[in-house]
Amino acid sequence: MAGASAAAAFGYIHHEMSRRIAIIEDDPAIRANYAEALRKHGFEVAAYAGRGEALGALRTRLPDLVLIDIGLGADIDGGFALCRDLRAASASLPIIFLTARDSDFDVVAGLRLGADDYLTKEVSLPHLLARIAALFRRAELAAAPQAIEERLERGALQLDLKRFSATWRGAAISLTLTEFWMVHALAKFPEHVKTREQLMRDANLVVDDGTITSHIKRLRRKFLAADPAFAAIDTVYGMGYRWKS
Amino acid sequence: MKRWRFSLRVKLALVALLLLALPWAGTLYVNEVERFLLRGQEQTLLATTRAVATALHERPQLLASSSGRDDEVEAILFGVQRASSRIWVVDRQHRVLAVAGDLRRPAELLQQSWWQPLLGWVIQRPTEDFAAALPESELPTAPEIAAALQGTPATRARQTQDARAVVMSAAHPIWSGDEVVGAVVAEETTNPIVSMKSEALERLLLLTLGVFAGAAALLIAFATRLSLRIRSLRDEAESAIDARGRITRLAAGSGAGDEIGDLSRSFSAVLERLAQHHAYLESMADRLSHELRTPIAVVRSSLENLKLSPQGADAARYIERAEEGLARLNRILGRMMEASRLEQSLSTVERSRYDLSAVVGACAEAYRMAYPEASFAVELPERRMEVEGSPDLAAQLLDKLVENAVDFSRGGAPVRIALGETGGAAVLSVANKGRSLPEGMRSRLFGSMVSVRETGDPAKPHLGLGLYVARLIAEFHAGRIDAADLPSGDGVAVSVRLPLAWK
Repeated sequence: MAGASAAAAFGYIHHEMSRRIAIIEDDPAIRANYAEALRKHGFEVAAYAGRGEALGALRTRLPDLVLIDIGLGADIDGGFALCRDLRAASASLPIIFLTARDSDFDVVAGLRLGADDYLTKEVSLPHLLARIAALFRRAELAAAPQAIEERLERGALQLDLKRFSATWRGAAISLTLTEFWMVHALAKFPEHVKTREQLMRDANLVVDDGTITSHIKRLRRKFLAADPAFAAIDTVYGMGYRWKS
Repeated sequence: MKRWRFSLRVKLALVALLLLALPWAGTLYVNEVERFLLRGQEQTLLATTRAVATALHERPQLLASSSGRDDEVEAILFGVQRASSRIWVVDRQHRVLAVAGDLRRPAELLQQSWWQPLLGWVIQRPTEDFAAALPESELPTAPEIAAALQGTPATRARQTQDARAVVMSAAHPIWSGDEVVGAVVAEETTNPIVSMKSEALERLLLLTLGVFAGAAALLIAFATRLSLRIRSLRDEAESAIDARGRITRLAAGSGAGDEIGDLSRSFSAVLERLAQHHAYLESMADRLSHELRTPIAVVRSSLENLKLSPQGADAARYIERAEEGLARLNRILGRMMEASRLEQSLSTVERSRYDLSAVVGACAEAYRMAYPEASFAVELPERRMEVEGSPDLAAQLLDKLVENAVDFSRGGAPVRIALGETGGAAVLSVANKGRSLPEGMRSRLFGSMVSVRETGDPAKPHLGLGLYVARLIAEFHAGRIDAADLPSGDGVAVSVRLPLAWK
C-alpha cells in the first residue's frame, strides 16, 4: 500500500514504544478505533471526548503528540480553542487536526492556530501513522544538534528531509507536513508535471482536486511572503503542477 | 377545428351587449304609449264629430235648406277644426255639405332636430307627402259613414291610397227628430303621434348609443387594465425561474389589494417556498456529505483495525470488498463536496486577468492524454483572449464540460472544443455528437443534482453536479452558460460566454 510504504520510507513505526499520544474526539467509535490502532502500533494513548476533560488531564502532563477533532459535541469549535490552549502551554508540542471539516476556512483557521498538520477523516491509518512518525522525527531533531543531513537542493530551495523543514533563498519557510511533502514531490523532479493524483499520493493525502488546488495556493502564498518574486510552482492547466528551476 | 379563444376584453364587450336590452324595453314602452295615444286620438275625433253633430242637430234647417255647400255649416266646422284634421258634413245622399281643414300638417309645425338626418335611415319619420283623397271619393266606400248614416257613430283607421300615412276617421250621425239627416266626419292622420313616437325612438336610440359607447369604453379600459396586469404577472411568473433554474421574486401587483394582487402574492409565496426547497436541495449535498463522513470514518478505521489483527483468508477478502465500497462512497462524497466547496471558496478566490486561450490550449493538450479513447478537434483564436477571473476555475469548468462531452459522445466523432469572440465576449463551446438534449431539460441542466444520464458506470458516480459547478464558475466570471442541440440535431453543444476584460 502506498501509505504503508510511505510510512516505512520514513523508517519508523514500531520503535518508539514510550511515545504518548492524546486523542480528543467526540465520536466514541472513532475515538476507540484510533486509540486501539495506535496502541497496536506501540503508542501510549489517552483518549478524551471533550475539551474541558482533555485540558484538565493534559495540563498536568503534556503528551508527545495531540490529535484533535474540531467539532467536539455541542462545542462546535472546541478543537480550535483546545489547540490554542495547548499551543500556549507548549510551543513545540506536535498538534494534528483530524476532522470531518474540510472547508478552506477551517484549514486556514486550524493552521493559523499553530497546528502542525490538518487532516480530514478520509486519511487512512497508515497515512496517519506516517504523519505521526514524521512529526515525532521533526520534534526530536529540532532539539538535536545539526547532524548529517539528508537534503534536497533545487536552486534557491533547500529541503531537509529529516527535519521536514524548508528554506527558500536562506529564509525558513514554515510548512505543514502535507505542504512539505507536496513541495518535495514537485521539486524532486523539476520540470516534470505532477498530476493532482500524484501529489495526493506523495503527500499521503486522500482529498479531491479542489483541496490540492487550495494547498498549492497556500504554498505559493507562503513562498511569496518570503520572496515576492517567487514563481517556481507552475500550474499546467488541465494536468497539474510542476517545479520550474 | 380551432377552438375559439376569447380574450378578457372581448368577453366583457359581449357582456356589454346585454345593455341592448334597455333600448328594446324602451321601444316596447314607446309602442304602448303610441297605442294609448292613438286611442285617445280616436276618442277625440269622435268627440269632435259628436259636438258638431249636436250643434247641427239644433239647426236642422241648415241641412235641409241647401242642396250644395253651405257656408254657415262651414263656419261651425271652422270653429272646431284643428290643424292637420279635416271635418266634413254629408247628407243622406252622400253629398258633402261642408269641408274644413286639411289632413296635411302645416310646415311650420314640423320641426327638424339636428340628429334627424343621421338617424333617418333607422327611424322613419312620417311624411306629409301623401295622397289625401278627396271626401267625395271616400264617401261610397267608407263603412264608418255608412254606419253613421244608419245612426251609429263609428271610427276607422285607414291607409291613404299610396300607403304613406294612416288616416283615423270618426263619423257621427246628425239626428233630426228620429231620423238621420246626415253625418259629421272628422279625419286626422296619425302623423302627429307617429312623429312623436319617432322622436322618442330617436332620443332613445341616441341615449342608448351614448350609454353603450360610454359603458363599453369604461369596460374596455377596465378590461385592458386587468389584461395588462394579468399579462405582466404572467410574464413575470414565466421568467421567475430563469433558464438556469434560479428563482427570483415577483414584483407585479404585489401591492394591489384586489384578487390580482392576491394572486401575485400567493405566486410570490409559492416561489419563495420553491426557492427555499431549491436552496435546501442545493445545500443537501453539502450537509449530507458532512454527516456521512463520520460514520464512514468509523467503518474505515474499524476495517483498518481489523486488518491489524490476525485473520483468515475469507476475512481478508471481505475486508478488501468493504474497502472498495468505502472508496466508492468516498468518491461520491468527493463529488458532492466539490460543488459546495466551490461555492464556499468563490467568495475568497482572487480574481486575476489571464489569457483564456492559453488555458484552453493547455487543457486541450492534457485531455488528449487524459482521454486516450476519445479524439478532440480544437479551434483556438490566434490572439490572446483576456478575461477576468481565475484560470484554475476556468480549467475546472472546461474539465466538467469535456468530461460530459466525452461521456455522451457517440460514433467516434471528435469532441469539438472551440474558443471564439462574439460581441465583446469570449465564447467557449464544447460540442459532441450523440443523442440530443431530452425535452424540457435544457433549462434545468445547470441546476444542482440534475442529471440526464440514463445508466451509469457504478464506479463513476454521477450526481448531476458537474454542470452546476460549470455554471457557478461561469457566473463567477460574470458570464453565462447554455446548452443547445447542434443545428444538425445529432449532438449537443454547451457554450460559455465570458465577457472579455477591458483593454
